[in-house]
Amino acid sequence: MAFKNGILLAASALAALLTLTGASNAQAACEPSKVAEKYPSLAGKTIKIGADPQTPPYVMRDKSNFDKVVGVDADLARATFDCAGVKYEFVLGGWSGLLPAVMAGQIDVMWDNLYYKPARAKTVDFVVYMKAGTGALVPAGNPKKVASIEDFCGKTVAFGLGSVEEQATRKQDEACKAAGKDAVTMMPFQDLAAGMRQLDSGRSDILLWDLGFADASVKEAPTKYARAFAIISGLTMGAATANGNADLIKAIHDGLTVLQAKGEQAAIFQKYGVDPSLEVPAEVKLD
Amino acid sequence: MQIIRTSSRAAAVALLALAFWAFPAEAQASASAALQELSGDADAAVAVEQHWIWEFFSYAASEFLWIGAWTAVKITALAMAVGLVLGLGLALMRLSGLFVVRAVAWFYIWIVRGTPQLLQLVFIYDALPYIGLKFDSFTTAVIGFSLNQAAFSAEIIRGGILSVNKAQSTAATALGMGPVLTLRRIILPQAMRSILPGVGNDTISMLKLTSIASIIFVNELTFRAQQIVGQNFRFFTVFAAAGLIYLILTSAISLAQGWAEARFDLERERRPRGETLRRMFGFRLGRKSAAEIAAPAPSLAPAAPASGTETAPAGEDVFRMLATSAGGAAKRGEPFVVCRNVQKSYGDRAVLKGIDLTVARGEVVVLLGPSGSGKSTFLRTINHLEPMEWGEITVDGRHVGYVPAPGGGLRSTGGLAKARADARIGMVFQHFNLFAHLSALENVIEAPIRVFGMAPDAARELGLKLLAEVGLSAHADHLPHRLSGGQQQRVAIARALAISPKLMLFDEPTSALDPELVGEVLQVMRKLADAGMTMIVVTHEIRFAREVADRVVFMDEGVIVEQGPPSEVIDDPKQERTRRFLRVMERAAPTP
Repeated sequence: MAFKNGILLAASALAALLTLTGASNAQAACEPSKVAEKYPSLAGKTIKIGADPQTPPYVMRDKSNFDKVVGVDADLARATFDCAGVKYEFVLGGWSGLLPAVMAGQIDVMWDNLYYKPARAKTVDFVVYMKAGTGALVPAGNPKKVASIEDFCGKTVAFGLGSVEEQATRKQDEACKAAGKDAVTMMPFQDLAAGMRQLDSGRSDILLWDLGFADASVKEAPTKYARAFAIISGLTMGAATANGNADLIKAIHDGLTVLQAKGEQAAIFQKYGVDPSLEVPAEVKLD
Repeated sequence: MQIIRTSSRAAAVALLALAFWAFPAEAQASASAALQELSGDADAAVAVEQHWIWEFFSYAASEFLWIGAWTAVKITALAMAVGLVLGLGLALMRLSGLFVVRAVAWFYIWIVRGTPQLLQLVFIYDALPYIGLKFDSFTTAVIGFSLNQAAFSAEIIRGGILSVNKAQSTAATALGMGPVLTLRRIILPQAMRSILPGVGNDTISMLKLTSIASIIFVNELTFRAQQIVGQNFRFFTVFAAAGLIYLILTSAISLAQGWAEARFDLERERRPRGETLRRMFGFRLGRKSAAEIAAPAPSLAPAAPASGTETAPAGEDVFRMLATSAGGAAKRGEPFVVCRNVQKSYGDRAVLKGIDLTVARGEVVVLLGPSGSGKSTFLRTINHLEPMEWGEITVDGRHVGYVPAPGGGLRSTGGLAKARADARIGMVFQHFNLFAHLSALENVIEAPIRVFGMAPDAARELGLKLLAEVGLSAHADHLPHRLSGGQQQRVAIARALAISPKLMLFDEPTSALDPELVGEVLQVMRKLADAGMTMIVVTHEIRFAREVADRVVFMDEGVIVEQGPPSEVIDDPKQERTRRFLRVMERAAPTP
């Protein structure tokens, strides 16, 4: 079993290497009719894209038609697989169930606001395509005059439980106390909608969450929200597949490369109010 | 009354639902406009503030949410059905006599009830594929909820089964009904009353709990509502609409529960099939009621009042026909029941210490003796309701459910129920043990139809004749709880006779009766004795023994102390123990 895994791993690494070197030389173009020769194992298959439609602006329901999913990641995934000429369908479930389902083979790719982390890459393979960041969302007009994380002292901050935002806020809380200032009142939440209610009702001064979401919210309702500041954490986001899917990784990488070259990824970002400068060149990360 | 109340409740709900559907239909236009508004660019739209109530109704009527609700309903219905069947199996395993079987069921329930269902779902969906078992989301949800429900309903069903008096299954066993038949026809229908409220609870919980299946990609109602909220953050109207949808669905479940409970309610008025329709519209469908079939033969079945001691003139034929027609090898006066050295003990206490007794065909034997002398236990060994430990009993030359064992003794066979049925031994109990959920007539014809394969019409005819014979034609459609003790015991005698017994066992048939009701039961027994039925009667009725018995057997402390005709044993006992017992009985007996 271990031996077999080893072979698969080696094979996929080799395939990825070929892909990377090939990609730079190859003409950046969509060839949907050539699935069988470019990605033989995907021919005739329907790729299951796992996503949670409660993660705006990445994946969400279309306002005018709830039967449709839209968003940065949903649109990117569609464009990518259309480019490769592979059939696909969205399989929708709770976010925390997505990665286990990829590993179990219940879905083929998780494509939804997923941060690349070296530990995660041990169990799945990534193609990263954008920088992750943190945005501080405040009521329009920024009444508490928050300009940076140093201004958190004495304020109430809402953030996702166990997120990078939580780590940053806790660190700042220590700093406030060390400087003899008021501590940060922390309001961790389980789901984003609950956090937004905190901000709307004035129970929290600041909502600290993914930058893409913060920007999209401001674009959506500039009379309600404003972005106080942003932190680019250096993390990247990507689509993840189970280890050993060399063809699938290659198809995603090829597709994203084409989209980036044509400026389509940036257009999608702009459509949802996400800063196009967050784009990074598509890159395969196996481990 | 009950029916009126139920139907008015149903009408109210239907009305509510109608109003609910009509309302948003009217509001549809403006509400969808509101949705359009939401979808437009917020900075461009100088939003015309729609009243939230329209938005609420448009969500409550939204197909997107109802599709999710339908998914939840499908999962709940399937999982509940499978879970109840598995739960019944587990409940029976928990009640098994075998330790291993009990332990397996206990272990399953322990694991499933003790671990979070969320983790079970993730396990089935994401871990089982590693061993090659890959289920889709919906199937996983149905499997996961079924397995979970099995564990919970096992305990509910077990509680229901335990709530049914043990005497009910004893009576069924004595009629030759096997365990499965007894469970299906006697125990479960009565257990339903205590099972249903728990099952109703679980169904409602499950419907709402299906939302946790979003972790395995099931898009049901709550998850869909959350998706809308995650998209537009209008949590109040969306969640309130989802709440209303849940309320409508759970109301339907509550109604179904109420209907099912009424169906199994013994207190409510029972009407023959079609009677309600007849009262409403003046006609009826379906078969005639028992009373109507009995009616054309008034001479055979006088509508006897509660005292019921008068007998139908033609009726004696039924008893005589039963007593003489029952086949068998032994002729009248030849040995019929032969007991040799019957021994039995409960733990260390020996109850029967070697009983030898022979009863001839057509003989009436009365067993007398103080409480705890072993009379009832001995009686129950004759039809193998109680196993004996040593000795031998033959009825009409055959063992009842025993075969010779290698060591020279006997051992119980499998298929005890069939052996009991083949022996055709009728038994009447101290506490009547009528099946509480069946009418008098249904009590009588249950075994003839289900055990002996009698045609229902013939069984009904026989049953009505027997009820007429014991003076109860007017009560054929009544449930036991509406009859007096004496009437119940007479139904019990008719029930025992309906299997065409070759031998009748009476276990203190009048001990639980008020003194004024004793006479009517003894009257029936006397008639049966006169008709030539072979009878063994455990009783404290000295007068009955004296007048009816061919032979009186006095037992004490597990042995037969003395026996002989009543004129000897009762009027001129040889043994001091017998004399002492009779003195006590005379003092206690009410003056006739």
